Amino acid sequence: MTRKFMLAGTSMLAMAGFAAPGISQEHVASVEILTTTESYDPIRYEGAFIVAEAWRELGLDVSVRPMEFSTLLDRFYSEQDFDATILGWSGRVDRLDPQFFLGTLDSRQADLGANNPGGYANPDYDALYDAQGAEFDIDARRDIVHEMQDLYMGDVPVVVLFHRDEVVAYNNTQFTNMNAMAGEGLYSEWVPMEAQPVGDRTTLRIGGPQEPDNVNPLASTSVWGWKWMRMYYDRLVRLSPDVEPVPWAASSVDAVDDVTIDVTLREGMTFHDGAPLTAEDIAFTFNYYMDSEYSYFNSYLAPVESVEVTGDLTVRFNLSEPSAPFATITLSQIPILPAHIWSEIENPQDLTPEEIPTVGSGPFAFDRYDRGEFMSLTTNRDHFHADEIAVDGVEFVIYADAEGVFTALQTGQIDMTAWRMEPGQIPLAEGNDDLTVVSVPDFGYFHMTYNTRREPFDDRAVRRALTMAMDRERMVNVLLDGRGEVGTTVVAPVNAFWHNPFVERFEYDMDAARAELEAAGYSWDSDGRLQR
Amino acid sequence: MTRRTYLIKRVLQAVFSLWIIATILFFLFRMGLPDPTSVLITEGLNAEQRAAVRAQFGLEDPLWRQYVLFLTNAVQGEFGTSFSYRAPVSEIVWERLGNTMVLMLAAIVLAYAIGVPLGAWLSWRRGSSTDTVGIFVGLMFRSAPMFWTGMIAILIFGVGLLMFPTSGMRTLPYDADGFLDKIFTLDFLWHAILPVLIVALYYLGSPMLIMRNTMLEVYGEDFIEMARAKGLPERDILYKHAARNALLPVVTQLAVTIGLAAGGQVVVEVVFSWPGLGREILNAVRTSDFPLAQASFLIMAAFVISLNLLVDILYTTLDPRVSFR
Repeated sequence: MTRKFMLAGTSMLAMAGFAAPGISQEHVASVEILTTTESYDPIRYEGAFIVAEAWRELGLDVSVRPMEFSTLLDRFYSEQDFDATILGWSGRVDRLDPQFFLGTLDSRQADLGANNPGGYANPDYDALYDAQGAEFDIDARRDIVHEMQDLYMGDVPVVVLFHRDEVVAYNNTQFTNMNAMAGEGLYSEWVPMEAQPVGDRTTLRIGGPQEPDNVNPLASTSVWGWKWMRMYYDRLVRLSPDVEPVPWAASSVDAVDDVTIDVTLREGMTFHDGAPLTAEDIAFTFNYYMDSEYSYFNSYLAPVESVEVTGDLTVRFNLSEPSAPFATITLSQIPILPAHIWSEIENPQDLTPEEIPTVGSGPFAFDRYDRGEFMSLTTNRDHFHADEIAVDGVEFVIYADAEGVFTALQTGQIDMTAWRMEPGQIPLAEGNDDLTVVSVPDFGYFHMTYNTRREPFDDRAVRRALTMAMDRERMVNVLLDGRGEVGTTVVAPVNAFWHNPFVERFEYDMDAARAELEAAGYSWDSDGRLQR
Repeated sequence: MTRRTYLIKRVLQAVFSLWIIATILFFLFRMGLPDPTSVLITEGLNAEQRAAVRAQFGLEDPLWRQYVLFLTNAVQGEFGTSFSYRAPVSEIVWERLGNTMVLMLAAIVLAYAIGVPLGAWLSWRRGSSTDTVGIFVGLMFRSAPMFWTGMIAILIFGVGLLMFPTSGMRTLPYDADGFLDKIFTLDFLWHAILPVLIVALYYLGSPMLIMRNTMLEVYGEDFIEMARAKGLPERDILYKHAARNALLPVVTQLAVTIGLAAGGQVVVEVVFSWPGLGREILNAVRTSDFPLAQASFLIMAAFVISLNLLVDILYTTLDPRVSFR
């Protein structure tokens, strides 16, 4: 970062009325916007230039620096070495609970590598964060969550640029009753259970450019690993398409008190190898994860102190502190592993692909995984939900890129896309009678995060002004082809229950931005550079 | 210098080059690529958890120790475990290399089998419109980007005419006992036609043009004059005398091309979703999967170096003018 010092005496031409002669005026520090490379994501790349242009108009010296994605992540999260960065959070289902996104502004998550790299620190906000996390009453919790959104919004430590619509498609001559889910698109855990075959194929074929890193439930760290595994591993609770927690392997979940939760299992459940599923398996699974070095579930397991078996089908969870997201997130994300198989395994992370157990108790059973090419599951007819399932199995074909996926969809090789289509493919799909295009709003978001520890972003007024200078409406129209919506708070509008619609909006308004800066004592020199 | 000492010297040179490359790769990836744990960061790992993952990957050891370990293992053909797949790297690389090689070799053989006689024929018809058209077509496929020709082929033959599959090596799912079982089927052939053709057309230009130009040079040589003076038929002069002598540079080019083939044509592998090494390398670099990236590049380098070595050895036999200096 370069900082230029300039005496007001040298700029006698400065706009009258701003610079009082004799007082030294200093140019506002130059800023650099970090973003992805154009090839990685043209949206974030172009977005940075749109923002930079507007900021220059405000008199700021701005440069844009596109970076290789993982380098960018490193700079942003591990080193926190940035002025402003454009990145995104994906809308994973477990993030529909406000805990995660609200946590990205918690000052105790501002250390290196954690989720609040901008370093926003507001004690009131932190206190409310703890309060909502411990509030079991959902309406009371919602009030706190709404208050938090209102509280931070005026400080704009981070700007939610926009939410992109997930545009996916399926072949309606093969399957019907395909209900897309916010943040998941068609590749949700429900679509395979709800899809009705109407063509000649009874197995649902999904195609996508991503494949699991591995299918080891103690090593996989990718969404693609878990999207696949959750179909053959059951959870105690599943989140319904409307994101309501519904008891799944659990027949009931009862809070004995703030920190004691009793879970009763369904009767008669078995694993795919025929072994009965009992409370022992549940206790084993949770303890196994807590004792392992696998960190992917750490945040879900954080509130769990211990798990004890209280009967054949009953387990008791003891929490270290009250945790509202326990039922929605923890119970819905941890897969149930068969104790009789995994208890033999000492270093689960070192398993080779051939050694990885694939026995679950889910509605589908693991069939095969040919890396880079193909995966398949067969419907588990012994499952308690089996009568609702119309397909005989689920297959996943792995392609090298989105182009290959779309070609396969057009030629009927696959029935649905696992991942969003490219903008150019959408009109082609819309013009094809055999294909139904589905658009689901995302609750993940693209954001511009200011480093609140650095000039000029340590000044609330600057952050507010620079946010007003962003034409996010235009960004949605230009960058997303209109398929998306302008962001407000970190809790997306589509997440209707938790989202607070009555917050400051920061509409695009250059005049208001200038006024905000002037009121805070900023002025412009003869070249229009912002100074103070 | 005798032939034998020359050969020993060349082999030693090759081994030395490979060691240099291995060293450069090792340090290049560790300095140039982001920390592999940063790929996991998006899920919110804190510093302590990242250190644990790094330790698991052996990245917390001092660099020199990692390097020594890498070299001692590599010499034994052991490349460690892939960070993201959690599988032995050699297993992944060999399988992928096989997939790539079968595509590339088929394409290269096809390109040379057609290109060489075509080039000889063009040289014969030099200056005619056939010659002009031939050069134009060869250069056109040489310069057209393969993702474009590939996509056009997919659009016409895959989507439009539904004649050929648009992706993969086989109709999925398939069971095969080993590599040969996988590729000796009609189904494989049917899947391979389009990608092989696209790559072959791209490679066609170089043997064709090299052959044509060397032939033109050879025509001016004394022994051709001699043959003509003897009154041998033109066809014999062309194919028996001139072409044989013109083949040398083509053979060199062929060996170099095959050497480079190990890296595959990433673009073609992507367009046709061909599960080859090129695609794997792309992923490995993207996810900072050091062991996988190192092994893939090292095996590619080994290919190039051994084929160059082979060319040199061949030359000592083929071309009496080569001296051992």
